[in-house]
Amino acid sequence: MVEGRRHVVTDRLRRERWPALLVAAAGTVPLAVLPLRAAADVWRAPALLPQQFGTRGLETVLAPGTRVGDAVVTSLVVGIVATAVALVIGWPAARSVARTTPARRTVLLVGLGLPLLVPPYATGTGLTRWLLELGLTDSVPGLVAAHLVYVVPYVVLTLTFAFTAELAGLEEAAEVAGADRLRAAWLVTLPTTAPAIGTAALLGFVVSWSQYGTSLAVGGGRLTLPVVLLPFVERDPQVAAALSLVFLAPPVVGLVALRRTMARR
Amino acid sequence: MVVGALFSGALVGAIRTSLTPDPFAGDLQWTAWQTLFGDPSFGAAVVFTIGVTVAATLVSALLAIPVAAALRDTAWARTFATLPVLVPHLLVAVVAVLWIGPGGLADRLIGGMPIEVVRARSGLGIVIVYVAKEVPFLALLLLAHWGDVLRDREEAAAVHGAGALARFRHMVVPGLRSPLAIGSLLVAAFVAGSFEVPMLVGPTHPDTIATYALRATRVADLQGQAIAAAALLVASGLVVAITVPAAWLVGRRRG
Repeated sequence: MVEGRRHVVTDRLRRERWPALLVAAAGTVPLAVLPLRAAADVWRAPALLPQQFGTRGLETVLAPGTRVGDAVVTSLVVGIVATAVALVIGWPAARSVARTTPARRTVLLVGLGLPLLVPPYATGTGLTRWLLELGLTDSVPGLVAAHLVYVVPYVVLTLTFAFTAELAGLEEAAEVAGADRLRAAWLVTLPTTAPAIGTAALLGFVVSWSQYGTSLAVGGGRLTLPVVLLPFVERDPQVAAALSLVFLAPPVVGLVALRRTMARR
Repeated sequence: MVVGALFSGALVGAIRTSLTPDPFAGDLQWTAWQTLFGDPSFGAAVVFTIGVTVAATLVSALLAIPVAAALRDTAWARTFATLPVLVPHLLVAVVAVLWIGPGGLADRLIGGMPIEVVRARSGLGIVIVYVAKEVPFLALLLLAHWGDVLRDREEAAAVHGAGALARFRHMVVPGLRSPLAIGSLLVAAFVAGSFEVPMLVGPTHPDTIATYALRATRVADLQGQAIAAAALLVASGLVVAITVPAAWLVGRRRG
């Protein structure tokens, strides 16, 4: 009887789905204003819908040789390089964080998390003086170095969860079976941690792609997409909306690709 | 090590910048710090930053539990609802301006907003943007801890006659307190330090500490960079002084 009542309770809990629908709508519907505003060549108040649709916003964004186009390329290059460097650094770091003693792990995780507590503009301002002296301001390497302060902690924290005790056992079994460390890593560690690597790469790229404070402080004349986007919000909302769609595209494409890859595994 | 070197380098660089208003002269001076603490606008910025941070964090934390509860049995809804986690803060602020700014969609739909939100002196616009962005993040964090063990306990309590409120108070809240506290600390740290959102939807006065620092760099004065660095060091100190002991306390309570 208790079991029967348990099913009734569970079913009732699961049937009440309208709050989920409401919350899902709250997360997505507001974003619909972006394509609408980006395609509105003329949209005078108080009209609810644009008077004239067009591609002026997208044309401005995609025009070759503009500051906007250069900023998109800079953001992409910095994001990809920073993520790749963070993965190379983060892989062994995550492995040792996961396999050390609990007390040391806590210290290492707090140390890694500390940069996330400090305002990005503070880090950027502090790094600028050194980068000036090294001749690296206004450059891609300078931006990559500044972004790494934020990308590496996220990558390491994500990868740490992949190095489980179960994986350690599998690696040991591979080595007992005759595989050297490199072969064990290729055959066991990499395939097992692939989902975490994908998640860490996406997260790392999004963190770099979204950096505003550090890029503003360090980038100087080399603009990134968020730095270019902000002034347009008040100056030309149509271009701001079109730029926002460009800004939104890589995280969404990355998320869809990651989910598909994981579903196939 | 790389993070440590870059981060400590950044902090040392910020301290150096704050103490050498004239980089060409090279000698250490306290003038930037004296100017900063003698400026009433900076005091207002500290108070405003604390107010906005507390309001945004508290509202986000309070809403995160019901939102997580609504999403826990529906994977498709979770995907859609947590989309804002991947959306950069700047973009959420742009969406807010297009919806609730002057002449925005909400303005057109209801024929005029009853209160000013974007650029409101109270900081309401800033709080709304952070709540929209951080509630899905906190909900996702809670869902990761709202696993089968907690669900089984809830079901057992329901079978034995515990009402929804009793289950929430005695099962859900204790189970989710730690992740909610740690997530809220991260949110508070971020809100206190970032400045793209206050720049876009915040008032021109008072500033947050971060926008105060940015404005300082935009005056044609050599001391601007030094004042900005000093202000940002104060913000960093405030965040670390609040979050590190709080995180330690949460860790101790967890045992």
